[in-house]
Amino acid sequence: MRAPTDTDFSSRLRSAAVTARVGLWLGICFAVAFVTGLISHYAQVPDQPVPFPTSPSWGYRVTQGLHVMAGTAAVPLLLVKLWTVYPRLFKRPPRGLRRLAVEAAERASIGVLVAAAVFQLASGLANSAQWYPWAFSFRATHYAVAWIAIGALVLHVAVKLPVIRRALAADVDATGEDRPAATEPGALSRRGLLRTTWLAAGVAVLATAGGTVPLLRRVSVLGVRSGDGPAGVPINKSARAAGVTATATSPSYRLTVAYAGREVSLSRDDLAAMPQATESLPIACVEGWSAGATWTGVRVRDLLDLVGAPPGHDVRVVSLQESGPFRQPVLQSNFADDERSLLALQLHGETLAIDHGYPCRLIAPDRPGVLQTKWVHRLEVEA
Amino acid sequence: MTARLVTGAAGLVLGTYGAWLLLSRQDLDRLTGVAVWLAAGVVLHDFVLAPLVIVAAAAAARLLPRPARGPAAVGLVVLGSVTLLAVPVLGRFGARADNATLLDRPYTAGWLVLAGLVLTSVVVATVVRARRGTAGREGRSTDGPSARR
Repeated sequence: MRAPTDTDFSSRLRSAAVTARVGLWLGICFAVAFVTGLISHYAQVPDQPVPFPTSPSWGYRVTQGLHVMAGTAAVPLLLVKLWTVYPRLFKRPPRGLRRLAVEAAERASIGVLVAAAVFQLASGLANSAQWYPWAFSFRATHYAVAWIAIGALVLHVAVKLPVIRRALAADVDATGEDRPAATEPGALSRRGLLRTTWLAAGVAVLATAGGTVPLLRRVSVLGVRSGDGPAGVPINKSARAAGVTATATSPSYRLTVAYAGREVSLSRDDLAAMPQATESLPIACVEGWSAGATWTGVRVRDLLDLVGAPPGHDVRVVSLQESGPFRQPVLQSNFADDERSLLALQLHGETLAIDHGYPCRLIAPDRPGVLQTKWVHRLEVEA
Repeated sequence: MTARLVTGAAGLVLGTYGAWLLLSRQDLDRLTGVAVWLAAGVVLHDFVLAPLVIVAAAAAARLLPRPARGPAAVGLVVLGSVTLLAVPVLGRFGARADNATLLDRPYTAGWLVLAGLVLTSVVVATVVRARRGTAGREGRSTDGPSARR
C-alpha cells in the first residue's frame, strides 16, 4: 500500500471556497474566546493597574458564558475546516531549496496552529467538566497556548489573505481555487455542507449551554450541570473537599476584621444582628456555568467601617480552607467599597448551605466565582 | 502587501509571547506533559479521526441507497462532532462523590435522545428525497484514498 497524495482526494467539497467560509466563523469563535479569556484572566490578577469594573454585575457571567460557548461552537467548525484541507497534508514537497524552505515554514506554522487550536478546545472542554487528566497547570497553560493559537491564527490569515479574499468574493460553487483533482460531487452540495456545519455548531451550543443560559436548561442534555443544588444554586467545591466541615460548623467560629492593628471579632449571631442587605448578584464560574441568585447579609463596607478602615483599600479575604490557590484572594478596593458587595449569610432567603460557604461568604458584583470566597473567617484591610 | 507583512509579523510576535509564557512559568516535567498533549491532538486528528471519517464515508457510500447519503452525511457531522465534544460529560470523568451538583444529568439517556432525533431526521429526509426522486443529482460518491480504485 502506498502513501496517499493530495490527488487521491477527489471530492469537490474539499475546496478553499468551503474552507474560507467555515474558517471565517472559526476565526470569529477563536477571537471571541481569546478576548473573553483575556478578560477572565485579568479579572483574576490580584494587582490590577486598571481596576476591573464592578458594573454591570452580570458582565463576567456574560463574558465567561460566551467564552465557553464560542469554544464549544468551534469544535464542529474546526473539524469541518480540517476535513476540507486534509488533502494538503499529503501534498508532495516542491523541488528547489528555496521553495522547500517556504513550504516547510508554512507547514510548521500550520502545525503549531492546529496543535494549539485542538489543545485549547480539548483542555477547555475537559476543564469545564472539571476533568484534569494532566499534570500541568490548566490556567497557566490554557492562557499561554491561547497566545500561541491566536498568533498562529493571525499569521495564517496574513499568509492566506489573497486566497481568502478571492474565495469569499466568488460564488461558493466557483472552482477557481480548487485543486485539479477535486471534481467529484460529494454526498452534499457545498451549500449543504456549510449549512450542516452551522447546524452542528448550533446543536453543540444548545446541547451544552444550559448551565449558563437558564432558558436552555431543559434542552441542554449534555450540559455539565443541570442547575440544581442547595437553594437552587450549583456548587463548585464542597465543604468536604475544602476540608472545612468541622471549622465552619464549630461554635467557636469568629469572623475577624483587621486594619492597622485594630481587630474586631464577630460570631455568626453578631453578623446576623448587624443591618442586613439583600442583593441580586449572579455567581459565575470560570468553568462557564452561572446562576442568578439573591443574597442576604452584611455589606462589606459596613464591616470595614467597624475597624475604621477608610475607602480605597484592598482587602485580603481569608477562607477557613487550609490550602488551594484561591484560599485568600484580594478584594480590590473598588469591589470592597461597592455597596452591593456582601458577606452573605443567606441565599434565596435560606441559611447559607455549608457547601455555599456557611457561616458566611463573599459575594460581589461582576467577579469570577473562584474569587467569591466561601467560609470567610478573616478580612484584612491592606495598608 | 505591507498590511499582510505587518499582520504576519504581529502574529509572530503574539505567538512568540505565548511560547515565552508557556516556557517560563512551568518546570520541565510539566512542559513535557504539555508537549505530549499538543502533539497528541494533531496526531489523533490527522492519523486516527480523519482516516476513520474517510473509512466511514466510504462504507456509507457503498452500503447506503443514494437518497440516504446526503442526510447521512449531515447526521454524521452533527452527531459525530457533538459526541466528540461531549466526551468529558459522557464519561463523567470529573464526577466527585462530595458534589452532587456536578455532572448531574443522565448523559447516556440524553445522548440517546439526541442520537434518536438525528437518526429520525436522517430517515425522514431520506424518505422525502426518495419520494421526490431528486436523489440522482447529488450523492454519487465520496473521496479519500480508500474510496479510490
